[in-house]
Formats: sequence, C-alpha cells, structure tokens
Amino acid sequence: MPTDLEPSSPEPVATAPLPTQVVVDATYSLPGIAFCCAAGEPPTTIYAGLSDFAIHRIDTAAEKPQPIRLGEASHDSYVTGLVRAGDRLISGGYDGALIWWNAADGEQLRRIETAHDKWIRGLAITPDATRLVSVADDMRTKVWDVATGEQIADWGDHEVKTPQGYPSMLYAVALSSDGQWLATGDKTGEVLVREFSGAAGSIVARLQTPVMYTWDPRARNHSIGGIRSLAFSNDGQSLAIGGMGKVNNIDHLEGPSRLEIFDWQAGVKLHEIEDTQFKGLVEALRFAPDDRWLIAAGGDHSGFVSIYEVGEGKLLAQSKTGSHVHDISLAPDATSLVTVGHQQATKVLL
Amino acid sequence: MFLSSGYRGIGDSGRSSQSSPVGVSRRGFLAASAAGVGANLVADMSAINGLRSAAMASELKRQDKRVILLWLAGGASQFETWDPKPGTKTGGPFRAIPTNVSGIRISELLPGLAERMQHTAIIRSLNTKIADHGTAAALMECGRRDDPGIRYPDIGAVVARELGRLESKVPDYVSLYTSTEGRRKGTSGFLGSRYAPMFLSESMTPANILRSDSITDIDHRDRAALREAMAKRFVAQSKSHSVDSQMSAYQRVHGLMASADLFDVEHEPADVRARYGPTQFGEQCLIARRLVEAGVPFVKVARAWWDSHGQNFETHRELCADLDHCMSALLDDLEQRGLLENTLVITLGEFGRTPSINASLGRDHFANAWSCSLSGAGVRGGVAYGETDAEGQTVVDGEANAGDLFATILAALGIDHEHEYMLGARPIPLSDFGSRPIEAVLG
Amino acid sequence: MRFPTCLAFSVWLFSAIASAEELLPIDSDVAEVIDHYVDERLERYEIEPTPPADAATYLRRAALDLAGRIPTTAEYAWAEELPESERREAIVEHLMSLADFDFHLRNSLDELLLSNRPHDGEFREYLLWAVRSGRSWDQIFRDLLLARPAEGPERGAAQFVRSRVRNLDDLTNDTAMLLFGVNIACAKCHDHPLVDQWQQDHYFGMQAFFSRTFATRKNVLTERPFGEVKFKNTAGEEKVAAFTFLSGVSVEDQTIDFADDERKRLEEQLRKLERDEKAGYVLFPDFSPRRELVDVALRDEEYRYFAKNIVNRTWERLMGLGLVDPPDQMHDGNLPSHPELLEWLAEHLVANRYDLRGLIRGIVMSDAYSRSSRLVTEERPPSPTTFARALTRPLTPRQLATSLLVVARGPAEFPAAERQPDIGWARFRNDLENQAGGWVREFERPTENFQVSVDEALFFSNSDRVQNDLLRDSGGSLVGRLLAIDDDRELLRQLWIRVLGREPLDDEVSTGLAWLSRDATERSDAIRSLAWAVITGPEARFNH
Repeated sequence: MPTDLEPSSPEPVATAPLPTQVVVDATYSLPGIAFCCAAGEPPTTIYAGLSDFAIHRIDTAAEKPQPIRLGEASHDSYVTGLVRAGDRLISGGYDGALIWWNAADGEQLRRIETAHDKWIRGLAITPDATRLVSVADDMRTKVWDVATGEQIADWGDHEVKTPQGYPSMLYAVALSSDGQWLATGDKTGEVLVREFSGAAGSIVARLQTPVMYTWDPRARNHSIGGIRSLAFSNDGQSLAIGGMGKVNNIDHLEGPSRLEIFDWQAGVKLHEIEDTQFKGLVEALRFAPDDRWLIAAGGDHSGFVSIYEVGEGKLLAQSKTGSHVHDISLAPDATSLVTVGHQQATKVLL
Repeated sequence: MFLSSGYRGIGDSGRSSQSSPVGVSRRGFLAASAAGVGANLVADMSAINGLRSAAMASELKRQDKRVILLWLAGGASQFETWDPKPGTKTGGPFRAIPTNVSGIRISELLPGLAERMQHTAIIRSLNTKIADHGTAAALMECGRRDDPGIRYPDIGAVVARELGRLESKVPDYVSLYTSTEGRRKGTSGFLGSRYAPMFLSESMTPANILRSDSITDIDHRDRAALREAMAKRFVAQSKSHSVDSQMSAYQRVHGLMASADLFDVEHEPADVRARYGPTQFGEQCLIARRLVEAGVPFVKVARAWWDSHGQNFETHRELCADLDHCMSALLDDLEQRGLLENTLVITLGEFGRTPSINASLGRDHFANAWSCSLSGAGVRGGVAYGETDAEGQTVVDGEANAGDLFATILAALGIDHEHEYMLGARPIPLSDFGSRPIEAVLG
Repeated sequence: MRFPTCLAFSVWLFSAIASAEELLPIDSDVAEVIDHYVDERLERYEIEPTPPADAATYLRRAALDLAGRIPTTAEYAWAEELPESERREAIVEHLMSLADFDFHLRNSLDELLLSNRPHDGEFREYLLWAVRSGRSWDQIFRDLLLARPAEGPERGAAQFVRSRVRNLDDLTNDTAMLLFGVNIACAKCHDHPLVDQWQQDHYFGMQAFFSRTFATRKNVLTERPFGEVKFKNTAGEEKVAAFTFLSGVSVEDQTIDFADDERKRLEEQLRKLERDEKAGYVLFPDFSPRRELVDVALRDEEYRYFAKNIVNRTWERLMGLGLVDPPDQMHDGNLPSHPELLEWLAEHLVANRYDLRGLIRGIVMSDAYSRSSRLVTEERPPSPTTFARALTRPLTPRQLATSLLVVARGPAEFPAAERQPDIGWARFRNDLENQAGGWVREFERPTENFQVSVDEALFFSNSDRVQNDLLRDSGGSLVGRLLAIDDDRELLRQLWIRVLGREPLDDEVSTGLAWLSRDATERSDAIRSLAWAVITGPEARFNH
C-alpha cells in the first residue's frame, strides 16, 4: 500500500553509488496479514495495520523484535491504510472508517465511522502532515483535514463499474513529495493525476495502463489485477505505477509483476518492466532520494523486493522475502527497508 | 389443428399390404404424426416409465414443480456468502449484515439476497469431503460417488425424468455453461439419453434447433410424417424400448424447434432485461426464467469460475455482486409471475473454500464445512440450518452430505427420494443409500 | 452402507457347474456347440424360437457385426444369388476376408478398452496392427499391461494403462472389469456382509499389482522398485496388501530389500523422473508386479477369468446380451444363462490360443445368431436370455457413421466377393474409416437401456451436415443417382436396397409412389425427403 510519508531528503546526493544487492537481514513473524505500514520515531519503529483489525508496533532495532498491539481500539475489518502525522497515526480499513491514534500509547483520538461507503484501500498524507487523502471502493477520493478530521473534498471521476459491468475498485493513491500532485489508480488500469495544492483537485492527467487489468471473458468470466501501487519521483516528474501483467489463469497471482513509469505531464510512458521470475502484484513502490533508482515490492504466494535503475529501467538486484509483501517502509538513508505482508515482516538491506 | 385425413390408410396398410393412398395431400402426411403413431408411442414410453405408478406420476406432475440450479462452478466461499465469520482469524474482511429474517446474517456481499431471505433456506453444514474439482463436481451433480460399472444420472436428469412430461414440447433438462473452465455437460447416466441435458455452451441457440433454409416448413413436417408412417411396422415388430425411444425423440423435434424463442431474451421487454442487468449470468438467469415459465422442469445455469486460490476477496466482490443482483432479480421475477412457489432455486457448487487465507489472499478447496441455499418451491424460507464452529473449520450441528442434500431437493419437489430405479437386478434409490432429507428446511 | 449395488464376487468360476468331462468335445464345431446348448434350454422351457432371418436380413446383420457397416448394393446382389445351403458360410467368409473386418474388430476392442478415456491415435494404430497381424487375445493383454512407450508397434498399447495411471482405483477397477469381468470396487470400503473377510484383501490385493506403476514426466510408464498398499480393514486394523489375484492366489513378493542409503538414492531418482522433463533415464525394476499379474492371470485355473470375460463380451457384442449380464458382474450371485456354453467357449478359446476370429466366426455361423428379430404376433417377447429371437441392437456411433457414408457415396460395384483381395475397395474402405471419424461424435455410445437422444433427432432433422453431405444431389451421391432413374418403382427399389439392404414391400412402394407423385414439389426435393425418411427411420438406426 502506498503511504507516502517519509519526508524526502531535500538535497539528493547525486554521487551516491547505485545499490547492487537486496539482502533479507531478518524476518519477524506477525499475528496476521499486514496490509500497510508506517515508520515511527525513531524510524526503526514500524507500525503495521493487520488483518486482526488492529495496529501493531515493531521495534526493529530491538534484539528480538516482537510485534506489540497498539492500544485497545480497533477497526471492524482489515486495516489497509496507515500514515503518520507527527506523533499521531491515522489508519483506514475495509470497514470504511478512519481512526486517529496517539502513536505513543495507542489511544484513539478520533474516529470517523463512515468515512467511505465501501472498503478503504489506501491513504496518503501531505509532507506537511496537514492533509490526508483516502481512496476506497466507493470509487471516491476524499481529502481530510488532519487536525480537525473535517472532510475537505470528495471526488468521483473513476468509473464505478468495470467495462464488463462489475464493481470497480480504487486501490492506489500517492502524493508528490512537494504535495502538489495527487495520483489515484483503479482496477481497470486508469490513473488520474490531480492538482492537489489548495485542494482544487482539477484533473491534470489521465494515464491508461490497460495491461494491469486482466479480464477473462471466456475461461473464467471474471477479472484480476488492477493498479496496486503508485509513487511520484521526488522531483515530481515521473510517476511509477505497479500491478501485474496479463494473467493466463486468473485463479492465481501467476502473472508477471509489472511496473510502468511515466513522464506523466507529457503523457509519455518511459518504461514497461515485467518480471516473470518474481511474479505477482507490485504492491509498493518508492523512489530513492536521488530518483536514480526505485524499489518495487510485492509478490504472489511468496514475496519479492526488486530495485531498478530508473534511467534505463534496468534491474539492479532483487530477492525473495518469504511471503507476499503488501507494503514497505524505506529508511531515510535508503540503505534498508522493512517489508510487511503475509504473517511476517522482514528487514532488507540494500 | 391436425386434419384427420385419408392418411390413416397408409399407416394401416403396413399390416394389410393394401395400397394405394394416391392423391393424399401434403397435409395428409402432416396429419399422421399426431394422430396415429404418436399416441401409441406415448403408451409405450409410459411402459418404460412403469417403475412409478401412473396415478402417482400424474399427481406429481400436476403440481408443476420446476428447478433452477445456479451452479457456482469452481467453488464459492461460504465465508463470503452464506456463513460469514466476521472478526475471526478466518473470517476475511467482509462484514455480516442482518437480513429481513431476524437472527440470520449473511455476507455483506449479498445485500439483495439479504432482503429476500424469507424465500430462502440456507444449509451451512455440508460435509462432502471431496475437494478436487472433477470428483467433487460429479459428487454434487449426482449426489453420490461413482460406482464403477454404474453411470449415475445427475440431479437434472432425475428431475427431468420424475417431473418431465413425456409429450412435452419443451426440453426437460437444459444446461447452460458458457465459460470453458470446469465446463461440464451433465449426464443422464443410466436413465439414458432421453433425459440428457440440452446443453448450451458457445451459443445460447441450441444446436440444430432452427430449420435449414434449404427446406420449407411444410416439407420439413411432411417428411417427418412420412418417416413416422414408414417406421410403424418395424417399431411394432421390434418391441424394443430403444427403438421406441428413437421414435419419441423424432416426435419431439417440432416442439423443440418451436421453443427456440425461449432462448432469445430479445423477446423480453426492455425493463425486464434491465432488471436482470447486462452480465452474461443475468441474461442466462432470464433465459432460465423463460424456460421454467414455459414448463421446462430443470434448468442449470453455471456461473464460473469461483476458484479463488488468489485474490479471494476481489474475486468474490465481483462474482457475489453478479450472483446477488441476478438471483435477486430472478426471485422477484418468479414471485411476481406466481412461479416461485413452484420453482426451486438452488445455489450450489462442487465445494466451498478453506477457512485459512493463503499468502495470495486466496482461499483453497474445502469440502468439510460449507454452504448452499434453497429458495422457493417446497422450502421453508427464512431458515439457516446447521452450524459450523467459530472459525468455520468443522460442522458442529446438522451435518449433511451430498446424498442428504439430494434427498432434500427431491423432497422439496414432492418426489420420494427412496423410490428405487431398477437397473437390471440392481435397485438404486433416487438419492444415495441412507440419505435423509433435512426436514427443517422443508416447507 | 452401499452394498445393495455391490454384489459379491467369488468363486463360481471354479465351481463345478459342469466338469470338463461333461462338456461337449473341445474340438467340436463352435456354431454347433452354441446351438446345442441354446436349443437344449429352449426345449427344456418349451420356447419356440423365431424362424431364421431372411437372406437380406442376415447379410445386413453380419455385415454390421463383421464389417462394421451395412452391405453395399454389390454385396446385396451377390448374396441374393447364393444357394441357401452355402449362403451363411459364404457371407461370413466374404466379410471376414475384407479390410473391414480388421477395422471393425479394432473399433470394437477400442470401445471396450478405452471407451470414454483420453485417446491417442497410437492406441487405435496399435489395435489395428494387432488385429491385422493376427495377435491373439492373450498377447494383446500382455501388450496392454506391459507395453512401454518406446518399444516397437506394441508401444501404442501403453495408453490402456497410461490413461488411468493417475488414478489407482480406475486402473484397478477397469482392469478387473474390462479384462476379467469382475467389478470389485464394492470391496474397497467394506467386505460383503455375506461373504468372507477376504474381499477387502482382494480389492487391495489387485490394487497392489498396480500401486507401483507411474508415468514419468516424459510420460513413460514404469514401476517403482518398492512400495506397498496399506489399508484399514473394517475392524480398523492396518494391513499390508499381498499381490493377490481375484481367485485368491497370491504372488510371491520378490521386492529387493535395499539398504537405506541405496533406497534413498533410488527415491531421489524416482522423484526426479516424475518431475523433471530432462531426466535422461528410466528405471525398470527387475520385479514387476504388473508382469506378475499378467503371468498369474493366464496360468493354472486363473486363466478362466480372463477367457470367460472376452467370450462373454464378444457374445454380448454379437448377440446383444451377455451370457452373463451385466458383463462386469461375473459372480455367484449372477449366474450365466448358459453356464456350460460359457465354459465350453472359454475352454475352446484357450485351446485355440485365444484366437478371437474363430470365436466370432462360430457365433455368427450359429442358428442362435441367425434368427429373425421380428415378432409378428401380439405375444410377449420371449425372455432375451433364452436367445429365442435375435435382439435388436442400436448401431454404435462408428457403425452408424460408416453406414451413412456407405449410403451417401458407396459405389455399386464393390466389394466383389469373387475378386479378393479387392484393392479398390480396401482403399475406399480406408477412406471411409477416416471420414467416419468426423461423424462419430454426433452419436451416443450405446449403453444399458439405450435411448436415442433428441439431440440426434435434431441433428438429422436440421444440421447442415446431413443436408449438405448426406443428401446432396451431385453425381455419385445417393440422391444424384436416384435422380437419374426415371422409373419410380426402380428408384424406390434402389433406395431401399442401398439404405436398408432389402427390397421395398408393396405398401412401401405404394407410399413411395404416392410421395413422388405429389403435386407442387420439385422432384429432387421429393427424392431428398424420401431418402431422408428412410435413412432416419429406426430400421436404419438399428441392427435387427
């Protein structure tokens, strides 16, 4: 899940060498499926939203990190979006609710019970932590005042149904690091980019990634796929879009993991990258601080972390991570990251 | 409408070796098929069906019972449909919602059906053990496991035989399965081809049901009458049920050809079509309604493919939306037409899905504790029968197997499930040995 | 409890229904022996058999049973001229000498052995080779169970096992049913309540012969060098199944006892074989349970299962009903209608080295086979198990398809009985065999209580294929030839002979003349409709 919360390094270090390896350093087990995560303070503290409807905290710097449940409150369904705003966390879930937490003691500070009519799929927060964006399967994109919980905007514009007449889904959301642009991506492979500053929300670009959506009209008569992750480069020029390529047997996540990178303002697709070795969905994307490489993570039954050089779209290194990865948290110095996913979290060194 | 003409002379002449009906009009040939041979054959066919007393059979048929089986091919998840377990480790993300029957909650993915629960009995306690597609599908179609050397009929063929009319002008078992994955035609087994399904897969127009342009309608009917007349002596002297069956098959041809329109939803008003929605399943549910309305006793509509090893929740959002919308429209339509009290609507697949959620957010095959539903004819609506444990791992109350479900379906239709077919010297009850109907779901 | 459908199988095959001395001499004429035993029962029960079928009916029946198709007009004309005393023999000799006989025996064996299973052309090729080269039934049996895909012309036989190799129950049951006439599936879950404990042992004993069989990733059939079948009996005890034949006789287990590390190494190799396409070897262990099964099934007393099964199935195919019916229920709860006859035919078959041709010739030469199937009175038909009248049988899909093609394009001049081998016909027949394949799937395979489906009636009534292929009016076609005949009576005669293999009766002529003289119909349309009505009639659909 894209949760664009780490403030980017203001001065990219252009001379930093490209990473050459992806190494799983440690694996921690989790009491459920983690769909989202956010780094705390210090950034070695990771918060994760789980299938047990709760938030858990893991101190990855500890000798034997153990997930500890945060507070008493919980969602009424899977927790699928999590961002940090200073000393607070905000979570969203399949219950359509948003919850503000005290990151330190887990106290529930605010709860919006029906933020959306359907399942919340992701959250994003502006760099100044004043605005929260949520996307959900009601196909609405909503903007919230982080301080007051007030709803500031509510946009539709994504098709509610797929071309075949089934409910569509709005999986992915990302904000640019300067808070100026907002991207949202849906099941059928459409990305809308809005001018976000001032929350005017006018649509400035529409990008199509139809390969991300596999409709099987003949053998199985349903679909799989969708845009599962989005990330702006730190300079705001490029937009990376993650999902899965065409799938033959849609019973399984056995399609190639797929990544498309756009010069979104020009509407030009820079790269299409498919990986048939490490298959499945690209669930999370992050650009390196200098924008020269990016991380794509996800998986099928098992998970992967891959790093690509952005200029050529070339694979630099990759590794399996055990089970499916749903989200990552990249360390500020971009030398390590934490993945969270199916029953486990891992610490990965680059 | 048939003229009684001099044609009869030809039919009789087979025995008397008399000749010559010269000058018989074309209409004359036409008349024979109904008047002469046809009547004899109906009598012969009832001899084949002599296992059941004639009086009882007709009594049953007066009730005009019908079945629409919505076959959830690949195996739908009980958690995301009829037996939700929200808030448990196995329950998945979806909520349970109240229905219009107090005390019964079903998955939030079926809001329309939740509002129509007064028609429906849920069975939450199926334990059918077999969890591979082919074997399980055969089990749930036939209500028992295969025995080598015996080809069991499926539920459609049994119902067709028990409820179909010998002289029916419509098919008595229609099976629609458009998707290719897991496509199965269905089988009439030892009941023979008379009860085999009319199978529609690639096209919704049955094969060979339309007359070729190269022959006129009158010639088509005339040559059939000629065939019938010339066959008479051979049929009489053969005294063979197989020979008789060939005659009755040809006698049904023109009735079936006249039923071609039933498969064409263009004949429905736009507002009715709109209610069923734009999906293929919706269209096929509408065809099913047209068929039962015209007297077809058994229609199977397969909705494939629920086999959600990956992305179970996404898959069920799509497929449950389709099921919920189309089945709701179907139940409403049947009710408005006064057909629901005589039409049993079943949702069933080959098995359910595992409580555990795998790393691809999928659920795998699971046959130890799963659900199906019965709505309409003969069913006590607003009932949730049987119970699984908190995480849906095992049946804790009201365990039922495939045979019990079959006995229940037959009982809902007023058919004696213990009635035996004689296969040579082997007595074979309609539902498996030792099976019992679930009385609690019967109206 | 499932036993009501499961009947006991046990030992009548060995019980002294008739000891060998009481049977007629084994070198007697097969047809005479058949009639001796069949007539003996008819006399005992005072049943009057139907009279012999007329020459045309006998020719059509024998052609369908021996050549897999209806007779051509040339054959009809030839047979009509034969003196009555020589007719039956001449017809049988003629039909059995044709390429048709090999095709049809091949097709019959194919339907028996691989009926609804995945097919490959190789299996049919193998059977044709086996039939043509005079391979005996016991040799075919060896090929079926032992053939390896890489070897000689027998390799196609491997499909019998290969098509069932992923399901041990199927492999066990089908072998028992199709090759030994015994359905033992009921003994899997329980013993029969009325018979001894050995039943469950039996099922798993048979299964043990197959349990080591597997197909490598490259689809080569082989066996593991070890492995056993364990089962829980009804008392809940776990038992290891011995290699036990249906008769109860067990085969010595000669499995090599490998040292642990050797076994581990072998297991690793076996795993690789099963999974890895690139495994460049195949293991064939010295001790092959499948070969043991073949050996035990053909020896001592045990051969009777095997011999009686094929006798009974051949009888069923030609007579419409097995001496034991159903043919997979050979057990003491289901005795043969004519036990001595079955016994004699089995012994005779073995004495003649499992030559199926002799058995087939004997049956079709018998009076029992040659009776009329028609009942002209209103009386109840005699019990079919007495064989007092010939039974009316639906054509198999292949018989029907090939016959339709003979109707549609069979030339009048051959095959000529006096010109053997008839090269022109052999070539034509080979084409027919290939073309028939395209029609076969339109028809249902006959089964118990066979009924013609409405799909078939719709197919004949409306398909383009029938209209364009069967009823087209180009030169050599049926309708084309009839169109060239001006005399309506002659036209009717040609149509009847070509389709039904007989002259039309008076009333049929009257009807036909009336039809052809109807007003306002194109002559070609009238002929086409008339031909359709005869072709689709029951007389053409059945062997009678």
